[in-house]
Amino acid sequence: MRVLFFAQLKDVTGCDAIELAFPSPLNGEQLWARLAEQFPGLLAHRGNVRLARNWEYSDAQTQFADSDEVALIPPVSGG
Amino acid sequence: MEIEIELTHLPVAEKIFPPTTAGAHGAWVEFRGVVRGDEAGQPIAALEYEAYPEMAGREIRRLLESLAIEHPCLAARVIHRIGTITVGETAIYVGVASQHRGEALALVTKFMNRLKQDVPVWKRRAVPFAAPRPATGTATTDSIRSLDEAIAEIRTRCQPLPPVRVPLEAAPGRVLREPVCAPEDLPAHDRSTRDGYALQADDPAETFQVVDILHAVDWKPRTLKSGEAVRVATGAGLPCGGLRVVMQEDVERNGATIKIIRREAALNLRRRGEDVRAGELLVPAGRRLTAGQLALLAAAGCTQPLVNPRLRIRHFTTGDEIIPPDQVPQPGQVRDSNSSLIRGLLQPYPCDLVQSHIPENFAAAKQLITTLDPQPATFDLLLVSGGASVGEKDFTRPLLEWLGFETVFAQVEVRPGKPLIFGINDRRVAFGLPGNPLSHFVCFHFAVATALARIAGESGPQFLRGRLAAPLTEAANPRETLWPAHLAAADGELRLRPLPWASAGSVTCFAEANALLRVPADCASLGAGTGVDFLPAGGMLGA
Repeated sequence: MRVLFFAQLKDVTGCDAIELAFPSPLNGEQLWARLAEQFPGLLAHRGNVRLARNWEYSDAQTQFADSDEVALIPPVSGG
Repeated sequence: MEIEIELTHLPVAEKIFPPTTAGAHGAWVEFRGVVRGDEAGQPIAALEYEAYPEMAGREIRRLLESLAIEHPCLAARVIHRIGTITVGETAIYVGVASQHRGEALALVTKFMNRLKQDVPVWKRRAVPFAAPRPATGTATTDSIRSLDEAIAEIRTRCQPLPPVRVPLEAAPGRVLREPVCAPEDLPAHDRSTRDGYALQADDPAETFQVVDILHAVDWKPRTLKSGEAVRVATGAGLPCGGLRVVMQEDVERNGATIKIIRREAALNLRRRGEDVRAGELLVPAGRRLTAGQLALLAAAGCTQPLVNPRLRIRHFTTGDEIIPPDQVPQPGQVRDSNSSLIRGLLQPYPCDLVQSHIPENFAAAKQLITTLDPQPATFDLLLVSGGASVGEKDFTRPLLEWLGFETVFAQVEVRPGKPLIFGINDRRVAFGLPGNPLSHFVCFHFAVATALARIAGESGPQFLRGRLAAPLTEAANPRETLWPAHLAAADGELRLRPLPWASAGSVTCFAEANALLRVPADCASLGAGTGVDFLPAGGMLGA
């Protein structure tokens, strides 16, 4: 799975993307746990960050599979 | 609803046309969000935007489609600019066409509210405004700029030169300064794409009377009756609407009649206006004209495009240790490579370049310049190689000030290339380039290229994203680094291989350098595969 970071989250992780490998799909809770192992600093942003799976916002039921592109979307400020 | 979405590093055109609605719209509502001159109460020079482009495009489309259920509209065009956008420039453009104004006005308002909640685009950081300071004679700490500040200041201070109309032959590589639209439908009428016979598309007859012959140049309108056919050549204008063309291989000809053996599903014609409709935009302003765009202008009859004038560039090299490249250096001497470097780097820009070597003595240099250029104000851009530091023989800054330039900054926190001087004299621009060849290369791509673009009416170079093809180690430096690299495409990605360089005097990396990758300050190493910003440096992706 490719996980992308944007805006201030890049400053937290020091990179704009990582590869994660895992055998079976994860729910959002499990994905956050995996990410927090590697980047504990992300947890401080969790309340504001939405997860996107394959270019669409996820919801509580979304399962994240190994082949997905996942993005952490902090509050947006376009326009 | 017809929807067009663009995320772009380029400036948004001054004039934008609605997507075609076949004349059905009575309202075309446009909104532009522009970068304000202050952020949180502080004056700024520019804002940097970042996007998740794949998702942003989808999200914009999803919002427009869902809002159009409540507010039916005919067409929408959204352009969001990303990268560094200077104050006053358009960050977002929304244009919506509808039958009556109410729906389009409502849709634009609601769309902007939703965009600010859901579309993954971020204002990444503000580039603070640094007010121009009066020249003080020597470099002081307040004339130092960060890389972003320097680029934003060059963008802001360099003004586009007044445009001129030139014949198409003189236009390659110039920047188009007005949008060019189609004067008529292209093609102008339905045209055959086959050698064959034109007949009514729904005529069930099997044999036809051949009533005329049309060649590619012919224009003979007539209405075909049932059982009538016209012999047509490829490219011939068809005599009326509602026809199909049967290939000559699919008929048996017998004197003045034909019998159809086979009817393809395809009509074998190009429709009037299928390429472009009269009035539609062909090439927006602000583009450096390519061969294809020149062909398009010719096809549209635009033979005198409005473009930037041919640039007049003056280049002085300094340094008494510099000898012409055809001589053998004595101890302490080096061959002049900067003249060739500058000439080569200016290749993509239509310009008249005059190069001279001046002595490393302020009084003697002034005397020589007075002799060479009795009227020094006849250039648009002045480049001085060497003498940019603050050593006792480094007189570039006083020289520029003697020539009437205000020093905007005299150092940039970047390596190599820190002692870069930027001066402005009305519309004329000057750079004092640090003498080492690699510093020249770096300063040209982030600073001189930005100025060249701005005075020609373009947005200027933008950092792009790529990935490291190999790890970068021992890079730690308190300054940002623009590191020479070789850029290549592999597995659908842009990959950058850092090239070795020992000092700003290194020249061997020029053999392969076609990009400069941006290494943050105090960054000791970056692993292979890390995403990096880079500037293309000639070769791939243009200069």
